[in-house]
Parts: sequence; structure tokens; C-alpha cells
Amino acid sequence: MLQRSLRLRLLITFGLGALLLSGLFAFLTYSGMHHVLVDDQQHTDLSQSYVNAALVRSTLYTSPPELGDELNSIEGATNSSLLVQTHHQWLSKSKGAATADVPSAFLTLVASGHPSSQILTIEGRTFFVVGIPIPAVETQFYEVFQLTRLENTLRTLLQVLIAGALLTFLLGIAGGLWVTRRTVRPLERVSMAAAAIAEGNLSTRLQVTRADREVQTLTESFNEMVSQLVDRIERDARFASDVSHELRSPLTTLATTATVLQQHREELSPAGQASLDLLVADLSIFQALVEDLLEMARNDAGASPLDIETVDGVELVRQSVRSAARRHGIAEPPLSFDGLGPTPVDVDRRRFERVMTNLIDNAHFYAGGAAAVRLSVSDDQFFVDVDDAGPGVPDEEREAVFERFFRGRAAHDRGMARGTGLGLALVRDHVRAFSGTIQVLDSPDGGARFEIALPLAKGELS
Amino acid sequence: LIVEDDDHIRTALRLMFEGEGFSVDDAGTGEVGVALFSRMAADLAIVDVMLPGMTGFETCQALRAKSDLPIVIVSARDNTADVVLGLESGADDYVTKPFVPEELLARVRAHLRRRPETSTHAFRMGHLEVIPDEGVVRQADGTELHLTSTEFRLLTDLASVNGRILSREDLLERVWGYDYFGDSRLVDVHIRRLRMKIEPDPTNPRYLVTVRGSGYKLVL
Repeated sequence: MLQRSLRLRLLITFGLGALLLSGLFAFLTYSGMHHVLVDDQQHTDLSQSYVNAALVRSTLYTSPPELGDELNSIEGATNSSLLVQTHHQWLSKSKGAATADVPSAFLTLVASGHPSSQILTIEGRTFFVVGIPIPAVETQFYEVFQLTRLENTLRTLLQVLIAGALLTFLLGIAGGLWVTRRTVRPLERVSMAAAAIAEGNLSTRLQVTRADREVQTLTESFNEMVSQLVDRIERDARFASDVSHELRSPLTTLATTATVLQQHREELSPAGQASLDLLVADLSIFQALVEDLLEMARNDAGASPLDIETVDGVELVRQSVRSAARRHGIAEPPLSFDGLGPTPVDVDRRRFERVMTNLIDNAHFYAGGAAAVRLSVSDDQFFVDVDDAGPGVPDEEREAVFERFFRGRAAHDRGMARGTGLGLALVRDHVRAFSGTIQVLDSPDGGARFEIALPLAKGELS
Repeated sequence: LIVEDDDHIRTALRLMFEGEGFSVDDAGTGEVGVALFSRMAADLAIVDVMLPGMTGFETCQALRAKSDLPIVIVSARDNTADVVLGLESGADDYVTKPFVPEELLARVRAHLRRRPETSTHAFRMGHLEVIPDEGVVRQADGTELHLTSTEFRLLTDLASVNGRILSREDLLERVWGYDYFGDSRLVDVHIRRLRMKIEPDPTNPRYLVTVRGSGYKLVL
């Protein structure tokens, strides 16, 4: 379906409306004026013809041979052509007159004694013919008026009216533009603000300007809506943060006392020792979970500002991989970077280290450890591939693995999942915060490849 | 010395450290902690940041004014601002709640194990003379410039590699004794504090130089 634009519709409505109205007005004016002017002219011409006919009759009575001169003098004074017919013979005529132009039906009508008048159009020009019978001398008197001046007047009138209609049309378009701007602009502003908010720019508000009441109402209720939404988002984030926060102190006590218990492990019965091991194992998961939740809640609430600096991506990956491996006492995966030199990227060091740790943990938990970490640069992007030789990630789960608390097939296959379910979600949040992307592919080692793409930094290394 | 306002955590920490053979004094507030320290000299202090009354930062400053013992702060938040503020107020290290107790234990052991090493000969830096054997830095007029043990280690370790670059991670490992996940902010803050003490113009360092993207080196 063709999408209809409000802007276009308003413009067309205003333009056509103005054209229609002014056209109608011009038409009525023209036909009215035409009627009045033509009537008036005919009336004048007719009365002049009677005067002239009287003159002709008296001339015919007194001295018929002078008729020709008489006609010429009348013609000179009246700007018309005169014809006189006596006994069916054209007796005399003035210089400009042509008998053939007068239709024979008209001649017959006048010859039968009826004074008549008629409008004729010959070769695009309009004439007014008046025929007056003079029965006393068996003569018919015809006078043909040229309506040139009237025509000129009417033509000028028509031109003025058309020009007026066009002007009105243009004014209509201009008015349409103005109205469109007044109505559509606020709508566009609302839609731009909504888009900005959807992109996560929650501080976006519409500017309350002096405007029409309706627009102001729209602006205010839009802003009100956004504020309430933001409040709600913040409340949710704060709640998650508060919950994790409150969990921290008891959790610290629990973990510490568990350590104390471990110091006295030998004094416990075998059942007690087994329980303690379970307690310690789950406590560490619990602790990791709270840590991840806290970090996530802070991100959501925007409470911890990004600490972006330009660093050498290669060196940072090397260090992060080493720390991550050591922390878990696992073998350090080989790092290949094909002679890549210092590669500046804009990241928050701490968060980037977290990203690498979580990816390596993920491989450790679900794929028997990372097989390799491969670095490369192409198209102004720095690629970090964390490859494993595990079962891989099925196509339908490749988006979902980044969802919070997603448990894929791999997690279920391994029985007890040891991750928090938040690791990869955090990874994605962090990578996005660096304007990067992450996706799951197939690794050349037969398992999954987690590929991070970060834009290369424009600035210098700090 | 443990300064922590949460009774449960304090008791648990005390039990844990005593179980590992440490002798522990504890205090519920900063004021009590500082008073306690005046009577018995502790080898190391663990200070919680969120304390009623005197804050953890203030407690750090008060302890630091009396001694250069290692101080580990325990913070509920790990905002850069909080961490930096803690380190600026004199702490040598920090952990965030909920911490892994083994990690805290490991850090405490690392700090206590750490002694000024004698691998470096005495050297001069402008008007300063650094004498690692005695653990002192002398100024031109013969008076001693006071450095904390962490700052001193940082300086002598950078000197011991003869001008080579040490990355933040190298320094964490050498100075703090961590062979696990450390925080490079620790290094940055301590370098800044050290510069304040030894550089003629700390904003434009001559000796303790940052190498972009890599780490730090000492130029003599």
C-alpha cells in the first residue's frame, strides 16, 4: 500500500481547495460581467441604429443620391458598417460593409417587416447586427457593429481573473505549507524524540515552546509519559541493585564462615565434609551471581559511568586472558595475532577484562576450555575470536545465548550448570557499550567461536 | 586490625584470620579502630568503607598518618571514583563486597610477606638519593622523604629493571604479589601518589614516565 503522507495531503487539499474556490469565483465574475457588458452595449447600439435608420429614411425621402455620403459620415462617427436594401436590391452601403456576412434567414426576417438584432461570430470576431425595416420606402436598414472594444475589455477581465485565480492557488499552497509546518513539525519532533528514547537516550525530552494549545498538550503529555517510563525503569533497576546490595553483607558472612569451617574440615564427619563441599561450591556460584546481577543492575541504571580510554587491544587481550586463566587455575589458551602491532581501541579496561574473563569462563564451563584466542584487524575493526573445541552452539541458540539466564543445550547436557547465566549477557552489554558487536560463529577448532568486533580508535594510545 | 561495622562479617573475618594463625583486633567504628591502633601496633589493617561516624576513608587517613602499615579497604561499590578515593586516602589495596574470603586472605598474606627487597643498589634521582638497603629516600638537605612501603617497592622495582618498561600487570605482580586478577587502577593511583612526592613537577613527570598503551618506566 502506498504510504500516505500527511504533509502531502495537507498541501494538496489546500492547493486544490484554493484553486477550486478562486476558479469558481472567476467564472461567476466573468459570466456576470460578460452578460452585463454585452447587454449594455447592445442596448446602446440598438438605440443608435434607430436614430441612424431615421436619418436614412429622411435622406431617402429628400435626396436619395446623397445616401452614400450620408452612410459614410454615419459610419465614420459610429465605428459600424451600414447596409441599405430597397426592393431586394442593395441600394447602398458604407465602405467597410459586406452583404455576404449577414445570414439570409436574418435578411428574410427583417424583409418581412420585423426589426431584429443578432450576434454574429465571423472569423473569430464578434459582430452585432441590427436590422430595421423602413416599410414607407420599402427599404431595410442594417447596421453591423464591431464589438472589438467590448471584446478587449472582456479579454482583459478574463486575464485579470485567471491571474487572480493562480495567485490564490499559490497563496493556498503557501498557506498549506504553513499549516503543514505547524501541524506536522511537532509530530516529527515527537517521532524523533521517541526514536532517540528507543535508542536508549532516556534523557531526551521535547522542548516546551510557545505553541498551539494542542501541540503544547501533546508535548507535555509526551514528556510526562517519558518521565514516568524512565522513573519506572530506574525503579526496576534500583530494585535489582538494592536486592543484590542487601545480599552482599550476609553473603560475605556466609562465605567467610564457610572458609572458617573449611579450616576445621578435618574435625568433621565424612557427611559433614561432603555437605561443606557442596555449601562452598554453591556459595561461590551464589557469589558470582550476585556480582553479575550487581554489575548488570548498575549498567541498567547507568549508575557506573564508562571509563573509556584508548588502549592497545592486543596487549589488553593478552593480559586479560592471562588473568582469567590464572584466576581459575586453568591453562592459558594460545593467543595468535599474526604479527599485529599495537592496536588502539576505545574501551573501559575493567569491563573489557570482564568480557574476556567471561568468554574464557564460558568456554571453560561448557566447551572444555578455550582452544585459542585469535586477533585480527580488517575494515577498521579489531576482531577478537575466542574459539573452543566443544559441541558448538546450534544456529537457533546463537542469538539466545546472550539473553539473561539463558540455559542452552550445552548447559543441560553437562548436568549441573556452573555459570551464573549472566556471563554472556554481561559480555554483550559491555561490548555494546564500547560500540562493538559480538556474535557466535563456528570455530575452526570444531566448536563455537565468539567473535567480538570493536571499531579501531581514532585517538592515540594513552 | 579489622575495622568493620557489620557484627556478623567482623566476627566471621576474625574467626577466619585467627584460624589461619593471625592475631586479630577488631573495632566496629573508625574512632575505636584508630584508638586501638594507638595502643597496639598492627601489621596490617582491613577497613570497611561504609562506617558510621568516621568514614573508612577518614580512618585510612588517620592510620596512614601514624604508620605506613599496609591498609586494605573493603568497599561495597567498585566505582572508579570510590576506589580512587580509597587509594588516595592512603590505602594500599582494596577488595569489593561480596569478596571471596580466600582472595582477601591471599592479599593479606601478600602484603605481609612483602619486605623491601635489596636487589637494587642505591641510586640518585635529581636531588633525591634512594637507598633500598635502608629503605629510605634522602633529600638534598639530608632529611628523609617519607614513602609508604608500597610506594617504595614501586620505585625500587622500576629501578631494578634498568629503565625497561613494566606493564601495570607486571607491577601488580611484583609489587602487590598478585598472580591473579588485579586491578590496574591500583597501579595508576599509586604511581600518581609517588609522583606527587618525588617529581619536581608531578603533572609533567621527568623520572616516572608513562609509556602509552604499555606501562611505566623509570628514567634516571
